[in-house]
Amino acid sequence: MKAYLGIDVGSLTVKFVLIDKKGEVLYWNYERTGGRPIEAIQRELKKLKEWIENHNPKIEISGVGTTGSARYLAGVIVGADLIKNEITAHAKGASFLVPEVRTVIDIGGQDSKIIILENGVAVDFAMNYLCAAGTGSFLDAQAFRLGIPIEKFGELVLKSKKPTTIASRCTVFCESDMIHKQQIGHKVEDIVAGLCEGLVRNYLSNVAKGKKILSPILFVGGVSENVGMRWAFEKALGQKVIVPKYNKVMGAFGVALLVKEHPPQKTKFRGFEISDMDIKCDSFQCKGCPNQCEVIEAKMNDKIIARWGDRCGRWSNLRYD
Amino acid sequence: MKITFPYWGNYTVAFELLAKKLNLEVVPPEKTTPRTIEKGVKIAPEMYCFPLKVNLGNFLEAIEKGADTIVMPTALGGSCRLRYYAFVQDKVLKENGKNVNFVIFDQSLDIFSKLKKISGASFFKMIEATIFTLKALNIIEKLEKKAQYLRPREIEKGDTDRVLISAFRRMREIEKFSELLKFEKEIMKELNQIKIKRKKVPRVGILGEIYTVCDHVVNFEIEKKLGNLGVEVHREMSLLYHLKKKIFFKDFFIQRKIKPYLGSTVGGHGRDAIYEMLKYVKKGFDGVIQLLPSFCMPETSVRPILEKIHQETGIPFLSLSLDEQVAEAGIDTRIEAFVDVVKNYYQKKQKT
Repeated sequence: MKAYLGIDVGSLTVKFVLIDKKGEVLYWNYERTGGRPIEAIQRELKKLKEWIENHNPKIEISGVGTTGSARYLAGVIVGADLIKNEITAHAKGASFLVPEVRTVIDIGGQDSKIIILENGVAVDFAMNYLCAAGTGSFLDAQAFRLGIPIEKFGELVLKSKKPTTIASRCTVFCESDMIHKQQIGHKVEDIVAGLCEGLVRNYLSNVAKGKKILSPILFVGGVSENVGMRWAFEKALGQKVIVPKYNKVMGAFGVALLVKEHPPQKTKFRGFEISDMDIKCDSFQCKGCPNQCEVIEAKMNDKIIARWGDRCGRWSNLRYD
Repeated sequence: MKITFPYWGNYTVAFELLAKKLNLEVVPPEKTTPRTIEKGVKIAPEMYCFPLKVNLGNFLEAIEKGADTIVMPTALGGSCRLRYYAFVQDKVLKENGKNVNFVIFDQSLDIFSKLKKISGASFFKMIEATIFTLKALNIIEKLEKKAQYLRPREIEKGDTDRVLISAFRRMREIEKFSELLKFEKEIMKELNQIKIKRKKVPRVGILGEIYTVCDHVVNFEIEKKLGNLGVEVHREMSLLYHLKKKIFFKDFFIQRKIKPYLGSTVGGHGRDAIYEMLKYVKKGFDGVIQLLPSFCMPETSVRPILEKIHQETGIPFLSLSLDEQVAEAGIDTRIEAFVDVVKNYYQKKQKT
């Protein structure tokens, strides 16, 4: 049975989605990388292998796609047939699930994006610049500071009756404003509700600036799990915000669909053995020209499999087999 | 006296040739690297626009190699903070203990007397050098234009850039006008020999601040990246375009064309950006990218207008603000996603 694997390695998490040739999801998983993407990929591959052995040993991986900010690294390690940016991947996944979708709001660990679609294809997009307010990392940090498990964060927001206003221009000021509010006696749930509202306000004025937000609106990415943020978006937009199935793994799902659309003759997938191999990355400075690029080299069992990071192609264009 | 000047993409070669032609002792600026930028940022005022910081980095590296006089143009016909660049840079360098002379070319027409003072060249010699430099600039822009056409179509990826890199290296050694003409012929022949597949490809127009769009280091080689992703790049803005515009008072006509969007100048090349975008739309391009350095006032002012044109016409539009804090990976993601959007737009247009 043919199956296609999509891997999305983001700043904080790694997502795996396995689909069949109809686009049905067979398996998905979402785990934190803990800052070690390579180990996380190996670990997840092992889990996937066990799942396949236990459920349907006939499954054969006939194509692999990677996306996310570590897409090149992940692509080199697993041997990807397609390396695609996360915006196109999200657009693909969202329009597959909801074909009439017009707006996709994607908030992940470090990035927040808006994608505008027409007839199922992306026609416009925007990404946050120089500012991580409203992304998963910041919410994580605040939940940790307040001692609230991130999973409970959303429920707490919904309890609030009178959300307080939190300055949201920048995470640093946002945090000091939150502390100020707590010191003058506001309730925790009002503060976190205010935080969600502030982050949505920041998103709409920074990332979605000047874009026409039309319904249906899909909300995906790790932060879409947070019911507080969903509530704040619906309140600010005055429209229904849909959180589809596989909202957390939409990028991986999208890239798997993209691979399926143009399946390779023979997949470049290195096989599940790589989860037991010794994979190391190292970097050195090329002295070839004044650019002095930092070249990164990936080694698998002490054999160099790829180099990248150079501008001229002196290292990356060499053949490594 | 050893002169130096800021690094500015491939134009650096032409400026170097000009200095040599005038028999000046010259320390050509090293290619800008992340370390150059780091050095400049360290001493530059923080809220100043990005090019000033890059220039300072170039100067510091040249001073290390013995340069003692800096030639700096400030607004040859533009009007933005570039006017104060040389004065700010002079002050910053002096504060950091680098005692260098500045030769400042500004809007007044005493370029020739200033050049005469530092080079001692005769009037005839200077005319000759000017013509020589203009031809060199012309060749540089021709090569860049040709490369924009070739990159998306070449069969062996990277061929065009290999030819260009060696071409600009050879160009630095040229001394005579006749050699320049011969060089042009040879390089054009070499470029024409590159194996390409003739086909229609999506076209993207680049507009924005002149330094950023022309300097391939600061803009992370955006033309090369787009070309390798299969997109033909067009760029109206260039040094010769700017000079021609000044000579023929083109601003007057540009203003008339953009009247519905902007009633007066906002400095720099703000009006040109709108004019170019309207032109790209009219010519049926498949996308527009605006490049601007952070804190660039003219381009920041016109960005909402460009966004509006994008909303009205539906042409894909991407605005990239560049400075030392921007990571190349983030730029790459945006460019790749933008190219996908451009290709969707292009295919939709082909069908109808």
